[in-house]
Parts: sequence; structure tokens; C-alpha cells
Amino acid sequence: MINMTRDDQMHDELLGAWEDTYKKGQLTLWIFLSLKEGPKYVSGLQESIHRFSKGTISAEEQSLYRTLRKFYHLKMVDFSAGKGYKGPDRKYYHLTPLGESLLHSFVERNILLFFEEPLKGLLINSSQAK
Amino acid sequence: MKIISRNLLLFAALLLVYTLLFRFGLGQLLTAEKWFWVIIIAILYGGIIFITAWTTGKRDGMENFLFDAGFRWNFTTFLVWGAASEAWFLLDLHSAYESIRVVHITLLIWSGFLLLHFLLFLILRRRRTIKGVHKTDIFE
Repeated sequence: MINMTRDDQMHDELLGAWEDTYKKGQLTLWIFLSLKEGPKYVSGLQESIHRFSKGTISAEEQSLYRTLRKFYHLKMVDFSAGKGYKGPDRKYYHLTPLGESLLHSFVERNILLFFEEPLKGLLINSSQAK
Repeated sequence: MKIISRNLLLFAALLLVYTLLFRFGLGQLLTAEKWFWVIIIAILYGGIIFITAWTTGKRDGMENFLFDAGFRWNFTTFLVWGAASEAWFLLDLHSAYESIRVVHITLLIWSGFLLLHFLLFLILRRRRTIKGVHKTDIFE
């Protein structure tokens, strides 16, 4: 029983460490996918990242502002002013043609392969194994 | 993306204060011929500049994504130190042991290193950045 608990604890620790490493570098994909859904202001973007990732990815507002400023500088996103809720106008961000093209290429090269056999079958198998 | 950022201005302001305090202390210690303390105050001055530059530079790197290879901080130190030192001599606040020639020679040698630093910055910017943003800092 004690061993089982230790194994479970180790499993959780290893999973946490793996997920921390896995999540690094993923924010861009979540931002791009959220913006692909439609233009969003920062809080809306934060909310949709949380929703899309089922709560596994959370981004600080400051971090999102910094990232969006950088993407804007590199012409991957643009913004237009839109009505704010009971307040000043908000910046609604959207993907530029460059951003759209980057997302397309990235997904095609790095994500779609998970939807093809044999990877697709292996992933389904792995999720059912436990 | 700001070239003259809040952190850079804070560094410049602190550096000016440190330099004026250092110049004052140096003059007093030289006049009193306390040579050991002259070395100590110089080390303290260099150390505190290094710590301040490190802290403000690191914070700037987190807030501002502009890649500069530390050149803005080096250039600011050159300008502030040079201006404060020149002013110190022009206002005749220096001690009898100090010569403006030392300031001029230091600035001359420093400008050579500054030019090398600028060239290094240009090379690194060309190789490692896209529109001035380090390639490894773009995607998070």
C-alpha cells in the first residue's frame, strides 16, 4: 500500500515535470488558435486560452500584453479599437496574413501528424491504457 | 519597443548620483591623502554600478524585447560618467591630485571599446534577431 502511494506520488511528480517542460513554448500556439477563432482583447484571449486548453494553460495578463506587443512589432498580429465593457475602447487583436500563414505552416508541420496513423492510433491507445 | 526605456533612465539617474558622490568622496580622500580608501571607494563605485546595471538591465529584458547586447547600458554609462566628470572639472570641484587629462584619456580609450561593442551588437543583431527581437525570445 505504501509502495502504491509512493508510485502514485512519483507518477504525479513526473507528470508535473513533463507537463511543465511540454507547456514551454506552447503559448504562441494557443494565442494563434484563439485569434483564429476571431478578434479578441487581452482578457478575452486569456479566457479562450483557458477554455481551449481545458484549464491546463493559463497566461498572465502582463505576459500576454508583452507577447502581443512583440507579435505586433513582428507584424504577426494587428489590432483595431473596439468598444470596451463600461469603459474605454479596447484593442481587439487579430492575426495578420503573416500570422495566418505561420499558423497554417506550423500546424501542418507539427500538429497534423498526430492525426495521422500510426500516431493517431498510438495516442488513442495510450489514453486508454490506464 | 523603446530604445530609451524607463529602466535605462533609472539606471542613468542612479549612475549620475553614484558618480557625483564618488567624485566628491574621491576628491576628499585624495586631498586627505588616504590612498587605501581611494582604492576602496573606487571598488565600491565600480561594484555598485555593476549591480545597478545588472538589475535594471535584467528587468528591462523582461519588459522590453529589444535586443541590444548591453550596448545601451554601456553607451549610457559612457555619456553619464563623461558628462558628470567633465562638469566636475569645469565647475572646479576637483582636488589638486586630479587631472582632466585622465578623464579625456579614459573617454578616448572607452570610445574605442564602445565602437567595438557597437560593431559586435550589429553583427549579433544581424545573426540572432528578426527585426531586432532575439529569435529565441519571439515565441513563448
